[in-house]
Amino acid sequence: MTINQTIYERGKTAGIFPSLSSRRDEAYVGFIEDARNLLMHAQQKPIGEYSRSLLQDAGKSMETDPKSSAEAQELLMKDSVLKTYYRVKRSLQESFWECILNSFNMKKNELLQALDDAEKIGPGSVSYDPDYAVADYTKREIHLQPGGYVNEPLAGFIYDYGLKVFMGGSADNDAAHKGLASTAGAPKDGQVSRILDLGCSAGGTITALKNIYPDAEAWGIDVSAAMVRYAHLRAAEQNVDIHFKQMHAEELDFEDNSFDIVTATLLFHELPVSMAKKVIAEALRVLRPGGSFTIFDFPSANKQDVYGMFFGEMDALDNVEPYIPEYVRSNVEEVMDDTGFEMFPYDPSKGLLIGRIGTKPEN
Amino acid sequence: MTNKKNNGLEYVKDLPGYDRGYPIYFENELVDHLISIVLELGAELWVVKDRLAHLEEILSENNKLSLADLQTGKPSELLQEKLDEERQQLVKRIYGRLYSKYGGDVAESEGAL
Repeated sequence: MTINQTIYERGKTAGIFPSLSSRRDEAYVGFIEDARNLLMHAQQKPIGEYSRSLLQDAGKSMETDPKSSAEAQELLMKDSVLKTYYRVKRSLQESFWECILNSFNMKKNELLQALDDAEKIGPGSVSYDPDYAVADYTKREIHLQPGGYVNEPLAGFIYDYGLKVFMGGSADNDAAHKGLASTAGAPKDGQVSRILDLGCSAGGTITALKNIYPDAEAWGIDVSAAMVRYAHLRAAEQNVDIHFKQMHAEELDFEDNSFDIVTATLLFHELPVSMAKKVIAEALRVLRPGGSFTIFDFPSANKQDVYGMFFGEMDALDNVEPYIPEYVRSNVEEVMDDTGFEMFPYDPSKGLLIGRIGTKPEN
Repeated sequence: MTNKKNNGLEYVKDLPGYDRGYPIYFENELVDHLISIVLELGAELWVVKDRLAHLEEILSENNKLSLADLQTGKPSELLQEKLDEERQQLVKRIYGRLYSKYGGDVAESEGAL
């Protein structure tokens, strides 16, 4: 039995993408997706302007220090519009995850079987250890995803479908990953024989990179067994040759100087800052001299006003993003520089997820 | 393998959002619940409208119905397009007024990226 016979695609063409268990569930999350697009995503700009006007009218500081940030939160969360916005956001998010979890649980055995079957086929491979000791800081229910990435065997399916709803359809076809991968840094000498993506999740970035460098040996690592299993299933379904392995990004099981390109997409804002520093050091270690490291993530180093900080802190609270506030206050590019990377100019005004690119020095 | 990954990270357990919790945004918790209830009712109303439209299409084209068609079948592309538009209008019509105070009730649908 092939994977295609057990699961059919709906709404996405980048590899396998299972439907929910019923038309009822598809209709339900379709409603939530539209509600999020109209009541949240479309509101971000006007609600930002509204909030800033509230802060300015009250004579509040727009600086980003913790005191100003706390004052902004106290003022803004007294406003009925903002209370409503955050209540709606939280309620919609809880609803769609619950629906997706329950729907996939209706065919849990079928989906687990698809993961098992994929392990027996190539191209590529997947390796994980059921007894692997996963760090507690990773066991968070990021974005409210039930069980998070590491405590739910169907996490990959749930994440991938959930992301479609979470992003309001804009995550379809891995379009964002393809776009980012095309801007990843590369060695000046053009020699690319081995590439690695850290915190690879469902494998979107490493799949796109492998398509850019088809002759390179490609690796994707993630702390979650469920995610690397799902990433392998998706890559195999697309006939893309990638090795996926369960691994902490801060403790890489690879030789020194063994990769030409290392990337990390939307990983760093999910890390405590002390771990982020370790991951950057590990990326430097496994890259060969002249190799390139690209971090795709949100701007940090306080490149926002106090409303931006408020938004991040509310995100931490009601979107389960506990490490975002300290990430935003850190300076990722400075840490890369201090660790030993030669940095390319980084300009976050060019895009929300524009890459921070560093090269490992030749000497 | 021993779990040694929490050295120096004890503080993270106190960070907002470390546990998902049950945030309440209004002084009166009942308001939070009422908003959740109203959103849930909207979703369930849409499910009924969607399934009724699908049912009508099956009956009008085949004049015969199976539970499998209803539960896992897909409406025609034409009907799906109509439903997509109708669903957006329903959300705007019912909930847009929540943000009328600052003009957000006329905002157009937009994905996250």
